[in-house]
Amino acid sequence: MSIESILGTLEWTAENSLAAASQWKQASGRRIVGSFPMHFPGEMAHAAGCTPVILQESHEPITVGHGMIYPFYCGFTRSIVDQACKGDYDFLDAIMFGDHCVQVLGAADVVRAKLPNTRVHFYQLISSMSDPWSLGRARETFLNLKEGLEEMIGHSIDDEAMRASIRLFNRNRQMLRKLYEMRRAGDARLTARQMQILVKSSMIMDKAEHNRLLEELLAEFDKTRATAQRGVRVYLSGHFCQAPKTGVLDMIEECGGIVVDDDLYHGQRFISTDVDDSIDPLDALAKWYLERNLKVPCPTRVDQNADWENYLLDAMERSRADGMIVLMAKFCEPHMYYYPEIKEAFEKRGVPHLLIETEHELNSFEALRTRVETFLEVVKRQTAARRIAA
Amino acid sequence: MNDLILPQGKKANRLKTSSMNNKMVNDYWTDVFNAKAEGKLVCWYEGVAINPLMQAADIRWVHGEAWSALLAARNNEQPAQTAAEHRGYMKELCSYARTHIGCGVLAQNRGVEASGSSFSDALGAGLLGERIPAPDMFISAYPYCSTGQQWDEMLFRLFGKKIPIFNISVPWVWGNKPDAMYLGGSEFNEAKQYMVKQIRACTDWIAQQTGKKYNWDKLSEIMSYTKTAGRLRVEAMELCKAKPAPASFFDWTTSLAPVNFIPGGPAIVDYFEKTKAEIVQRIADNEGGIPQEKYRLFWDGIMNWNKIGWLANKFAAYDANMVAGRYTHMGFWHEFESIDVENPLEGMAVNYLVCPINLSAPLMIEQIIKLCKHYEIEGVVLHAARTCRAFSNPQFLIADAVQKRLGLPVAMIEGDMVDESFYKDEIVNSRVEAMLESIEARKRVGIAA
Amino acid sequence: MKSYVMGIDFGSTTTKTVILDLKGKMVASCVASKGSISAEGVQVSMDGAFAQAGIAQKDIARTVSTGYGRRMIDVADQSYTEITCHARGAIAMFPEARLVIDIGGQDSKVIAVSGDGLVQQFAMNDRCAAGTGKFLEALARAVQVPVEAMGALAMSSTEKLTVSNMCATFAETEVISLLAEGKSKPDVLGAVHAAIASRTAGLVARVGNRNPIVMTGGVAKNHAAVHYIEQALSAKMLIAPDPQIAGALGAALFALDEVAKPSAAMMDEEDGADEAMSSARGCATQPCKTAAKLPANERPLLGPM
Repeated sequence: MSIESILGTLEWTAENSLAAASQWKQASGRRIVGSFPMHFPGEMAHAAGCTPVILQESHEPITVGHGMIYPFYCGFTRSIVDQACKGDYDFLDAIMFGDHCVQVLGAADVVRAKLPNTRVHFYQLISSMSDPWSLGRARETFLNLKEGLEEMIGHSIDDEAMRASIRLFNRNRQMLRKLYEMRRAGDARLTARQMQILVKSSMIMDKAEHNRLLEELLAEFDKTRATAQRGVRVYLSGHFCQAPKTGVLDMIEECGGIVVDDDLYHGQRFISTDVDDSIDPLDALAKWYLERNLKVPCPTRVDQNADWENYLLDAMERSRADGMIVLMAKFCEPHMYYYPEIKEAFEKRGVPHLLIETEHELNSFEALRTRVETFLEVVKRQTAARRIAA
Repeated sequence: MNDLILPQGKKANRLKTSSMNNKMVNDYWTDVFNAKAEGKLVCWYEGVAINPLMQAADIRWVHGEAWSALLAARNNEQPAQTAAEHRGYMKELCSYARTHIGCGVLAQNRGVEASGSSFSDALGAGLLGERIPAPDMFISAYPYCSTGQQWDEMLFRLFGKKIPIFNISVPWVWGNKPDAMYLGGSEFNEAKQYMVKQIRACTDWIAQQTGKKYNWDKLSEIMSYTKTAGRLRVEAMELCKAKPAPASFFDWTTSLAPVNFIPGGPAIVDYFEKTKAEIVQRIADNEGGIPQEKYRLFWDGIMNWNKIGWLANKFAAYDANMVAGRYTHMGFWHEFESIDVENPLEGMAVNYLVCPINLSAPLMIEQIIKLCKHYEIEGVVLHAARTCRAFSNPQFLIADAVQKRLGLPVAMIEGDMVDESFYKDEIVNSRVEAMLESIEARKRVGIAA
Repeated sequence: MKSYVMGIDFGSTTTKTVILDLKGKMVASCVASKGSISAEGVQVSMDGAFAQAGIAQKDIARTVSTGYGRRMIDVADQSYTEITCHARGAIAMFPEARLVIDIGGQDSKVIAVSGDGLVQQFAMNDRCAAGTGKFLEALARAVQVPVEAMGALAMSSTEKLTVSNMCATFAETEVISLLAEGKSKPDVLGAVHAAIASRTAGLVARVGNRNPIVMTGGVAKNHAAVHYIEQALSAKMLIAPDPQIAGALGAALFALDEVAKPSAAMMDEEDGADEAMSSARGCATQPCKTAAKLPANERPLLGPM
C-alpha cells in the first residue's frame, strides 16, 4: 500500500471512531470497552479479550446533550454527554475510566444514567504522583480495574496474556515514536493532520492491525527521501483529552508553520511511555503511570518531580522549534491553571508562544487565522533578527 | 399572577444569633493576622474541614474558600481577582481559587513577610487580600474536584515550590459494586481506610513541621466540641420542618463558619446551643425565617457570596422560604454520629467522604429526596455556579429526579460563588417566578382534587 | 504613471483607505461605513480616497489590504493581518509609542511594538463582544442615546455605578435595570465605559504594560472610553487626530516598502529570512550556545578535555 492509501484507511477510522469500532465488533465478535482519555491501560482490556476504544469528541453539533450539561464545560465533556444522550454508545459493552478531571466526572454520572445496561466502571487513579504511596495506590487501582474486567468476562486475566498485550502495545508506541523522530529530523514529511490521524487511529483500531499498517508505512518512508521544508518550525502544546480540529492544524500549516513536534494527547503524550514487559504486569502498569507524567508532564496531575513549563522549553530546543502554539480547549481548568506558569517561563526565556482557545463550535476561524498569521510573522522576524544580532 | 408582585420592604427575618457568628469570624481572622507576630505557623488549605488537625498542633489556618468568600461578602475581592487575571488566570477558572491565588500573587508582590496590618485596618483599607499572612505549609485534601487539588498545587508553585505541601487524595464515592450505599458498602469502607491512613500520615508530617509530638489528646478534645456543634446544628436544622420554618437556608449558610473553620472549642458549641434555642423559641412564637411563608423551597448548589443578603431578601419578598439546601444540609459534620471522640480519624474521614459534592449522582439524589420529603419542599432552585463544576455537575440529574419522583417544579439560575459578573438577576427573577407560578397552579389543582 | 500606493483596511463595520505618494506622504484617507464586510463599502471608501487625491486606480503602483475582509479585495497585491498593519500605522503616527491599543467594532487588540514598528507580542479579545465597539453600540441602544453622543454624556457622570456583566446581552439588561432604579443616563454610561476599560486593562496585562501607549480604532474617538482606559491603566495615551486609519496607513506603508523593493528582491528576502531562521535555530542548540560564550579568538575544544 502507498503512504496515501495507508493514511486514507487510518483517517477513516480516526474520523469515524464509533462506526469503525462497531464494524470491528461485528467482524471480530470481541467486546468493545470504551474509555475516557488519559490513562486507560488498553493492554489490560486487550488481554481480557476485548478491544479498547478511547471515546472521542464527535464532530456533530451538541443538541440533546444541552439538556444534561451546562454550556460552560469543555467541548469534549459536552460532546461525550451528547453522544451518550443520542444513544451513540449503546453498542459498547462497557465504559471504563480512571481520571478524575471534575468536568469528566460530571459527564460520567450522566453517561451512567443514560446507559443503564452498560457497565460503567470507575477506577480512581491517584493524581498526586509524588507521595510515598502513589505507586502502591496506582497498583491497587489497576487491580480494581482488572477485577472489573474479570467480572465482565467471567474469568481471570492471565499474566502471560497481559505481557503479550503489553508487547503489542509497546510495539505500536515505538513505531509511532519512530515516525515522530523521522518528522522532527525532516526524514518523513508528515503534516500535523497526518500525525494526528496516526495516533488517533491507534486509539480505536485493533492494535495488531494498526501495527501492520504502521510497519508498511515505515517501510514506505524508508524508500522515499524527504525534501527540506521551509517555514516557521512550530511546537504544538495542549489538548489533554480531545483531538484538535484538523482544520485548525491545516490552517497553521497554510499560514506558513511547519508543525515539528507536540505534547498533545493525540500525539506524543499518548505514545510517550512503554510498559515494562518483564515484571509483574500490575507493577509495570503502576510504574508506567508514574513514569508517563515525567516523560510528558500533565497539568491534571500534581507532581513535585515534574515541571511542564521546563519540559516544554527543553522539548522545543530538542525539536529546534521556533515558536509554540498553545491549543487550549476552552473551559479546560487544568490548562487554565497551569498556563500562567508557562507564560511566565516562556517570556523569561524569550521564547515566543501564542495562546489559542479552541471550542467545539468553532465559529471564529478567521480571527484565529489572523492571530496565527501574525504570530508566525512575528516569530519569523524575531528569529531572523536574533540571527543578525548574533 | 398579581400575588407575585414583589411587596416592597419584605425582608428575611434573620436569626439574631448570626451576629455572634460575625464576631467569631472577625476574632478568628484577627488571630490569623496575628499569627506571625505570635510566632505561629500558618497553613493554607482548601476543601474539607481538616482544621482540627492543625488546631491540635497549634498551627493557624487559612481556608481558601472561606477566605475568598469573606473577601466577596465584604467587597474586598477585586484587587485579588485583578492580580490573578493579570498573571494570566482566566475568568472561567474557579473563582474561589482565582481569588485566593490572587492573594498569593499580591503577597508575592509585596514580599512574603508578616501581614503588616491588623485585620480591621486591612478590611477598612480594602486591602484584606494582600495582607493575609503567607503560608508556612500547605495541606491539600480536596474531595471530588480536581480543580481543588490543582489549586493547592498552583499555590505551591506560585510560592516557588519552597513551602512544604502534603497531599491527601480523597476518593470519590462512585459505587461500582452492587453493595454500594450511603455510608456503606465495600468500596466506601475501603475509601474510609485509605483516608484514615493518609490523615494519620498527615499528622506525622505536621509533627515534622512543628518539631513537636502530635497532640492526640488535643485532637480528641477539639473533635468532641466539633461533634457536639455538629449535632446541635443538625438538630436545629431539623426543627425547621415546622411551618413556617423558623430559619432559612440563608441563615444556615451564614452559620457555616463554626462548623467549617472556627477553632473547635466551647464557643462553637455555645453558638449552636443559642441558635437552637432561638429556633425553639421561634417555633413556640410561630415566627418564620421570612415574614410570610407561602412556598417552601430547596436550594441546590453552592452559595453566591456576593449576593447572599440580596438573595435572602429576594426570596423573602416572594414569600418563598428556602428551607433547606444541599450545601448546608449535606455537609459540615452532619454525620456527627460517626465521630468517635477517643479515636476520631475514621469519623473525620466519613464526614470528608460524604461532603456535599463527593457522592456520585445516584447516592446524592437519594439524600436530596430524603431532605425534600422531610422539609415538605414544594420547589427546587438549582444555582448553577459558573465556575464551580463540582457543584454544577449533577444538577440536571437532580432536577430530573425531583421532577419525576416528587413532582416538584425546578428553577435553574446562573451565578457564581465570588465572581459577581456571572450573576444574572433577570434570569433569576423570570425563572423563580415561573417556578412559583407552577407551584401555585399545582396547589390549585390539588385543592380542586 | 503609477506613482501612488494604497492601503485598505476592510473591517467589520467600516472600510478605511489611505493613499500615499512614493515619498510616503499621505495624499488621501477615507472612512466609509457600510455595515458588515460589504464590497460596496470598499468601493465607496476607495472612490472617496481617489477623489480626494484626484487620481484613479491606474495610478496605484501597489495595494496592500488588511482587516477581516483582507482576502476578499481583488485589487490588493498583498495582504497582512490587521495586527501587523495597526502596529506599523500607529508607530508611523507616534514613533515613540511601545504599546498599541486598538478598539474597533468587532474586536479589540493590544500590541507591544519595537521601535521599528514590528510586533513583539499581542493579545486579542475572544469571540465575544466584551470590550469592543459592539459592546458600546449595544449599550448606547439600551440607554437610547446615539453612539456618537454616549461618550460626552458619560463624561458628565457624577455617581460611580458598576456594570459587572462582560457579555453585551446581559450587560444590556443590567443597564436597563439600573435605569429602572432611577439611575441617570450619564452615570450608567460611565459604568459602561468603566466596564470596557476593565476588559482592556485585562488585555494589556496579558501583553505586559509598557509606555508610551497609543490608542487607535474608532473607539479612540470616544473621550469617555479614553478617559476610563487611562484611569484603568494609570497612564496617559497618545491619540491620533484620525485614529481609525492606523491600519490602512500601516498597509499603505507596507505597499510602499514593497514598491521600493521589487518582488524578486522580496522573494530573496523571504529566502534570507528562512536561511536566517535555520541558522538561528542552529544557534539555539546546546553545543552552539557554549561556543557563543567563548571569547572571539579562542577555538572551542572538541572531544574529551
